[in-house]
Amino acid sequence: MLSGYWHFTPEVLVVCGAFAALFGGYLPGKDRGAAYAAAGAAALAAAIVAFGGTGGPIVFGQLEPDSVARYARTGLAGLTAVWVLWVAGRGMPGERRREGVALALFATAGGMLLSMAEDLIVMFVTLELATMPAYVLMGYRRKDVSGLKRALDYFVDSILASVIVLYGLSFLYGISGSTAFSGLELEGSGMLGFVAVMLTLVGLFAKVSAAPLRHWTLDANAKAAPVSLAFVSTVPRVAGIVVMSRLILAIAASAPAIGILVGVAAAASMIAGNCAALSQGDLRRLLICSGIAHLGYLMMALAAGTETGYGAAVFYAVAYAVPSMGVMLVVAEEGVAIGDFARLASRRPWVAWSMVLWLLSLIGIPPLAGFFGKLYLIGAALQAELMALVLLAILATLLSAAYYFRIVREMFFGDEDEQVGGAIEPSHAATVALALCAVATVAIGIGAPRLIAALGVRFG
Amino acid sequence: MSETVSGPVFAILAFACIGGAIGMLSARNTIHAALWLSEVMLAVAGLYLLLSAEYLAVVQVLIYASAMSVVVLFIIMLTLREREGPVRMADFSIGGGILAGLTGVILYMALADRGDRISAMPVEPSGTAALGELLFGRWTLPLEVAALILLVSLVAAVWWSREVDS
Repeated sequence: MLSGYWHFTPEVLVVCGAFAALFGGYLPGKDRGAAYAAAGAAALAAAIVAFGGTGGPIVFGQLEPDSVARYARTGLAGLTAVWVLWVAGRGMPGERRREGVALALFATAGGMLLSMAEDLIVMFVTLELATMPAYVLMGYRRKDVSGLKRALDYFVDSILASVIVLYGLSFLYGISGSTAFSGLELEGSGMLGFVAVMLTLVGLFAKVSAAPLRHWTLDANAKAAPVSLAFVSTVPRVAGIVVMSRLILAIAASAPAIGILVGVAAAASMIAGNCAALSQGDLRRLLICSGIAHLGYLMMALAAGTETGYGAAVFYAVAYAVPSMGVMLVVAEEGVAIGDFARLASRRPWVAWSMVLWLLSLIGIPPLAGFFGKLYLIGAALQAELMALVLLAILATLLSAAYYFRIVREMFFGDEDEQVGGAIEPSHAATVALALCAVATVAIGIGAPRLIAALGVRFG
Repeated sequence: MSETVSGPVFAILAFACIGGAIGMLSARNTIHAALWLSEVMLAVAGLYLLLSAEYLAVVQVLIYASAMSVVVLFIIMLTLREREGPVRMADFSIGGGILAGLTGVILYMALADRGDRISAMPVEPSGTAALGELLFGRWTLPLEVAALILLVSLVAAVWWSREVDS
C-alpha cells in the first residue's frame, strides 16, 4: 500500500506551491514572485503527471491513478499553471495576487485528487476542496459590494447542491453497503435507487451547471471578474465533470435507466445553452452559456453509458477547457463587452489570431482540439445508437458558429469608435500564458488519436 | 420499528422533533428560531440514543446542539444591526410546503418499498475506539483533505475580514 504513495507527488507539489504563495511576502519579488513560484509548482506537477506512470488502485482502493486520471490531472495542473502565469503578469484586478493564487492551487490539488476518486467519501471531500476556493475567487474584490453579493449567492447555491449530492450519496451507500464506486450495486433497488440516483445527479448537474439547473450559475457569474471566471469555469468544472463521468459509468452497469436521465439533461443543456448564448452582449454571459452547451455535447457521450463514452467525455472536458480559458483571459485583458473587441486584429494581431484559433476549436473545426473532441463524442453516441442526440448536437454546433463568429467579425471588421479602453501594456508572462493556451489547443488536436487511444476509447 | 425501541419515549421525542421544527419556522423572533433549532437537534440526539447509537448522540449534542447553535447565534447577533426586536415577517411559502410534502411522500414510498434492502445493522454497535481506528487508518486521506478544506476556509475568512489596504 505504501508503494503507491509516490502517485501523490504532483498533488503534494501543488499544495506546497499554494503554501509558498501564501507566504509570498518572504519570497523575492513579493507578490509577483509568489505567483511565479505557484505557476512553477503547478507546471512541474503537470509534467510529473504527464511523464509519470499509471497504476492500479491505491489507498485502500479509494483512488485510482489510471490513464484517464493521468490525462485529467495533467490538464488540470497545466491549466492552473497557465492561469497563474497570466495572473503573475497582469495581477488580480484591484487586489494583491497571493491569496487568490494560493486558493486556486488548493482547488487544483482537490480537483486532481477528485479525478482519481473511486470512492464516494473521497469524492465528496475532494469535490468540496475543488469548489470551495471558487467562492472566494468569485468575490475576490472586497470593495466591489455587488460582486460580493453575487459571490454569496454562488456560495449558497453551490452548498445547496453539495448537500443534495451528499443526501443522494447517503442513499447510494445505504442501498449497496459500499462507498467504493466498484461496489455500487443498484440492481432491484426500485424506487429508492431511483431517488438516490436522482438526488446525486441533480446535485452534480448543479455543481457543473448543466441545463435544468443552470440559472444560478449564470446570474452569480455574470458580474464576477473575468480573470476569476477564467479559473472557476475551467479547473474545478473539469474535475467535477471527470468524477461525474466516472460515477455515471459506475452506476450505469446496474441501472441502465440512468442513460435516459443523462440524455435528457444533455439535450436540454445543448438547446438552452446555445439559445441563451445567441442573444448575449456580455462576453462573460456568452461564454457561460456556451459552456452549458458544451456540457450538453459532453453528456451526450455519457448517456451512452459505455467505456468509450466515458473516455470521450473526459477527453472533451479538457479539450474544451483549454480554448475556453484562453478566450476568458483575453476577455480579462480587453473588456467584457463585445464592442471592446473592435479592431483587435489591427491593435494586437497575434492575440486576435489566437482568439480565432480558440473560437474555431470551440465550434469544432479540424484539426483543433474541439473538432476531435466532438468527433469522439458523436462516435460514442452513435455506437449506442443515440441518433436524436447526435442530430441535435450537429444542429447546435451550427447554431453556435453564429455567436462565435460574431466575436470574430468584431475583431476584424468592428467599428473602431466603439472601442473605449486604452492600450494594454505589454506583459511577457501573460503573453506566454496565452501562447501556451494556443499551442495546447493545436497540440491536443494533433495528438488526439494517441491521447484518445490511451483513454481506452475504441471504435469499431 | 423493532420491539426494543420504547414506544412512548419515541413518541415524546418525535413530538419534540416535529414540534420544534414547526416552532422554528413559525417563530417571529430570529433568536427564538435559533433556540428552537437547537431543541430539534437535542431531540434528534435523543432519537439516536434510543437506537443505541451513543457515539452519534454525543456527536450530535457536541457539534450540532452546542457548537453549531452557538455559531448560528453569533451570526445572528453579528449581522443584525438592530439588536432590539430582531423580528422577521411570517413567511410561509405554499410552493415550498408542497415541495417538502412531495419529497416526504416520495422518500416514504421509497423506504417503505425497499426498506429491507438497507444493509443489516450490526448487532453490537461498534465502539468509539474502533471508529477512531477507522478514521485514522483506512480513512486518513479524506480526513487530511478535510483539514485542507478547513485551511481554505480559514484563508478565505482572513481575506474577507482583513482591512482592505490601499
